[in-house]
Amino acid sequence: MIDERRLKILTEGAKYDVSCSSSGSKRKNTGGMGNGYAAGCCHSFTPDGRCISLLKILMSNDCVYNCKYCPNRLDADVPRVSASPEEIAQLTIDFYKRNYIEGLFLSSAVEKSPDYTMERLVRTLKLLRNQYRFHGYIHLKGIPRADEALIHEAAQYADRMSYNIELPSERSLKLLAPQKSKESLLLPMRKLAEDSAVFKEEKRKGLFLPAGQTTQMIVGASPETDGQIVRLTQSLYRGLGLKRVYYSSYVPVVHDSLLPDLPVGQLREHRLYQADWLLRFYGFTAEEIAPENENLPLDLDPKCAWALRNLQLFPVEVNRAPLEMLLRVPGIGGRSAQKILQARRYTHLTFEHLQKMRVVLKRARHFITASGKFYGAKSETAVRGLLTAGETGENATQLSLFSTAETALSALTGEL
Amino acid sequence: MIYLTDGTKESFLTAFLLAFSDGDALVSSSPTQLSLGQKTVFVSADAARAARAEERLLSFDKDCMNDLSLLLRSGMSGREQIAFRYFRLLALQKRPVRDMLADEDVLCASECIRKVTYEIHRLHGFVRFLESASGALYAPLSPDNDVVDLLVPHFRSRLPEFPFVLHDVKRKKAAVYDGKNTFLAPLEQAEVVLSASEQAWQTLWQRYYKSVNIPQRERLKQMKGYMPVRYWKFMPEFSSREPFLT
Ligand code: SF4
Repeated sequence: MIDERRLKILTEGAKYDVSCSSSGSKRKNTGGMGNGYAAGCCHSFTPDGRCISLLKILMSNDCVYNCKYCPNRLDADVPRVSASPEEIAQLTIDFYKRNYIEGLFLSSAVEKSPDYTMERLVRTLKLLRNQYRFHGYIHLKGIPRADEALIHEAAQYADRMSYNIELPSERSLKLLAPQKSKESLLLPMRKLAEDSAVFKEEKRKGLFLPAGQTTQMIVGASPETDGQIVRLTQSLYRGLGLKRVYYSSYVPVVHDSLLPDLPVGQLREHRLYQADWLLRFYGFTAEEIAPENENLPLDLDPKCAWALRNLQLFPVEVNRAPLEMLLRVPGIGGRSAQKILQARRYTHLTFEHLQKMRVVLKRARHFITASGKFYGAKSETAVRGLLTAGETGENATQLSLFSTAETALSALTGEL
Repeated sequence: MIYLTDGTKESFLTAFLLAFSDGDALVSSSPTQLSLGQKTVFVSADAARAARAEERLLSFDKDCMNDLSLLLRSGMSGREQIAFRYFRLLALQKRPVRDMLADEDVLCASECIRKVTYEIHRLHGFVRFLESASGALYAPLSPDNDVVDLLVPHFRSRLPEFPFVLHDVKRKKAAVYDGKNTFLAPLEQAEVVLSASEQAWQTLWQRYYKSVNIPQRERLKQMKGYMPVRYWKFMPEFSSREPFLT
């Protein structure tokens, strides 16, 4: 059994990784313990409002790399600890059995060498899958520059893998994470995407990353604009078929002349997640969301901002507008749009109907008509004023529901 | 007129037939809801009548009994009335009404059902098992809705080799999986002898919970929105030796 001290250190080293989602895998129980839960499942919530779905832990915090922003970098004076594959496997099993977690999110500092580390990670996964017959969720963070064969092997045991892009441009990466390079991160991602496609095509037995790949980048440690970040995100979805791109607003745990001393506002991270939702679920392109060299406005959510730039398209009639257009109405989210589609088959919808159906009209009313009637403000300035009112920083932080698991999200945020 | 049922599906369906033509009918299973001046009939279950009503309703909507089962499990005191209004509309329309979301009665029913299914989903995550000395797992819980037995398939499919007990301490009943079969049984109080390592794993979990939090970003309101305080009672991460926020 791992001791409390190491558990604490290895957890604290892993907790800034945002991803905790356990969705996307339908792995079956074929004897032994565990299975996938395609919708994902939150087991607890911490006082910071984040969901605990997976046991998120480092195998080791003893790093030979020297990424400037990282508390575990080579130069840092911190206690160094590691866990054994057996300790991690046992911890996972005993937490899982008690229903504390949905599975394991395992990553590691680069201990000794990339291959040494990757080999230990793979050994842990094999122990869990083969010896403990564990079929619960496993997310493995890949080690850059590790041997291709090891990476391929890992993918046969993990549900999801991720290589973190870390910084949104090559220049920043060179500056702040000198031992990593764009290639060392993108190559394995591309290779895994290709291998996964081959695996599917040849209908091979077993599973190969059924929940795909994700990545994460730190926002605010380097000068890239939101416009650039959103474009990069779009190209990762399109080019590499990633399932999710996560953003983590920079928290200064380390002082370095190359890094800002102040944390980045949560609001900026929140706006990026909203933009990401627009890309993934609302049919927007990066180009529509933000000009390349600009940040997202903080006083408006990106959908409102887009609608205000495109007022000639509004108002739309809720009884006729196609789904794609309903989804572009500020305040109408996926769930509301579906409700409208269902209900309008039976009756001609009025504003009262929409209210009763709990469609949030605070923002939407400026952009729709219901049975020909318009209840919004008359002028653009008035609309803008009403939309930005109340969207103060504090308010919007409370609205920031996006760093938690996907399921809680779909239940609680639908409306954008 | 008030139609008072015993809370069962049969009693409800019997009452449904009796009350159907009475547009102002109130159907309820809780006598505390009685209002003065209204006449009350106690409806005892009538198997033949209930079967007739069920068959008829199923001919309009083959999935409607699932709705009824979920509605009657709701912890809301007005559940029978919500179900009555919904099924009355179904019988009048003679076709599925599920999607008529602009209709008040459909809306109420669909929200009531959503609360029940949402709690099931939540509990899939929030249930906490204690390991007993025999290796069987025991989880006390106190759900808003009467759903313990609906949690069994989920845990059975992921822990097929572990017998377990899901104990609804509020309703004093337990859903049991003995390693082979599942059944529902009345259970007042359970005596559980914990395994030798149970406390140690709980302590590690508490340590993990505390370490994974980012204290600089406290958002308690959001946390409680996702995981209402009433669920905390049976979670070891909140029974830590030290207060969890420190
Ligand atoms: S590789 Fe970089 S980011 Fe990862 S643990 Fe080492 S120093 Fe930190």
